[in-house]
Amino acid sequence: MKMSVDREITLRMARAAQIRVAPEDVDHMMDSINDILSFCALVGDLDCTGTPDFTWRMKKRPSRRPDITRDWEDRERFKEKAPAIDGNFFRVPRISSEV
Amino acid sequence: MGVIKSARPVVIGLEVHLQLNTSSKLFCSCSTDYIGRTPNTNVCPICLAVPGTLPIINDRAVALGARMGLGLHCEIQNYSNFHRKNYFYPDLPKAYQITQYELPIAVGGYMDIEGDGGPKRVRIHHLHLEEDAGKLVHPTTDGRMTGAAYSLVDYNRGGVPLSEVVSEPDMSSPAEAREYVTRLRQLARYLDVSDGEMESGSLRVDANISLSNADGSLGTRVEIKNMNSFKSIERALEYEIGRQNKVLASGGRIIQETRLWDDSEGVTRSMRNKETASDYRYYPEMDLAPIVITDEEIEKFKEDIPELPWEKRERFARDFGLSKEEISVLTEQKELAAYYEGVVNAGAPPERAANWVRMEVLRVINEAGCSITGFGVKPAVLAELVRKIENRELSNTVGKDVLDLLVKDGCSLEDAINRSGASSAKLTGSSLDGLIATVMEANADVVGVIKSGQDKKGGKAKFLHGLIMKESRGQADPKEAAEALSRMLEL
Ligand SMILES: [Zn+2]
Repeated sequence: MKMSVDREITLRMARAAQIRVAPEDVDHMMDSINDILSFCALVGDLDCTGTPDFTWRMKKRPSRRPDITRDWEDRERFKEKAPAIDGNFFRVPRISSEV
Repeated sequence: MGVIKSARPVVIGLEVHLQLNTSSKLFCSCSTDYIGRTPNTNVCPICLAVPGTLPIINDRAVALGARMGLGLHCEIQNYSNFHRKNYFYPDLPKAYQITQYELPIAVGGYMDIEGDGGPKRVRIHHLHLEEDAGKLVHPTTDGRMTGAAYSLVDYNRGGVPLSEVVSEPDMSSPAEAREYVTRLRQLARYLDVSDGEMESGSLRVDANISLSNADGSLGTRVEIKNMNSFKSIERALEYEIGRQNKVLASGGRIIQETRLWDDSEGVTRSMRNKETASDYRYYPEMDLAPIVITDEEIEKFKEDIPELPWEKRERFARDFGLSKEEISVLTEQKELAAYYEGVVNAGAPPERAANWVRMEVLRVINEAGCSITGFGVKPAVLAELVRKIENRELSNTVGKDVLDLLVKDGCSLEDAINRSGASSAKLTGSSLDGLIATVMEANADVVGVIKSGQDKKGGKAKFLHGLIMKESRGQADPKEAAEALSRMLEL
């Protein structure tokens, strides 16, 4: 089944994801979402009868990481990139329901 | 126990979060050692959710989760996976938490506890792995918490591995809930899965509590959060039972909600804006491969399980003939149990050794504020001391002095005995008489009462006898001292 979104749903999705979209970008965003949905529909049309679930087909055990610590040396850059910092803390909007 | 008598049967289920004893975080190589660290130093692109990074699961976190599951008699799953639990809260840089949802690592199981009415089995629903969140700091302006328009966040804790143990609603009182958490923490410590410190937040408890209806059906469930000590678990639940009974008695209805325990006020408060399960929009974490644990690996985990608390309790009862109370104290921590066994293996009689470890060793440790691992007297040395007391070479009183000297000065047992003055001959004959005379002199008023015949029940004489035994530091024979005292009082 092919789904599509209109301008109204696109704006609602943006709100739900807390993304601000400029009015001139709404059409472009709507087209992008519709492209993705069309591709999903295309994949959904494939006849997969008899094809086992991919994840269950792994012959090898998925790899795990040994419990070894390593410092990330470039961490000062996180502060440079952060929208707002306060000393060593990241500054974030206060949640309105917080005590 | 049973401070509050509830008009309706109480039903409690608990969710216990344990921080796992790993060196690195659940999905990245950052250190988990965050207490006292400079904020945002144990961070990397993965735990800060920089786009394009991929989480990889920590092998030891998987092993510890399975280990705790086995300790709880759960079925370890060959295949489990992760989901994204979405919520917007700035302590999560990704705006979702990676957690096990549909297929947790361990399912089923139980924990036996001492219930209000005897032994009780609390069923475990499941155990799952998830990542911890960062820590929010709310700055104050003009000393008011509500002033600032922003919060500060430290992500050092974000991504630390947690296992969440979800029980069935099998507990019927706050005391049982506390007992369950105590046993769970003991198990986690025996297994080296977690240090289980509530104070530092490595063990956290959320409770679901409801009161049954008159027809026996389950009442509306209320979730309680923010209980930061064993005492507060009991207090919060007791408060909540009282509150719900009051609401129902006045014809009101219980609302399904989450309430926060306020320890200083001693009340629970409704938490607004709580998102419900459907709002979390769980969906599979496609960045992580499932956890596949082979049967061979599960066997290996089983082999690695050490002696568990209840097994140790059984063995101590069987091998050492100790009372339930003694065993409970000695096995509370596996390090103390190991110390006690060391003393017995070095030749001390089990019962007297139990008494000494339980009373004296714990006294010294508590006074020094250290743990048994920091206790300086070797088990073999304590064994020798206990043997000397058992053989009546030393009195109990002198033994305690010797132990204090051993702890304070770290000297040899021989030295400590010499310095305690215990090696001198027994206090007897004229030296005993001399001591009694001194005591009588210092308590002339008591002696006067006795001599005037007013001590009909002999209580005053017993009092003097006790003083003499104390002054003799246990070196006088009680019977001889009593006879000498009678003689000198001319009774
Ligand atoms: Zn990291």
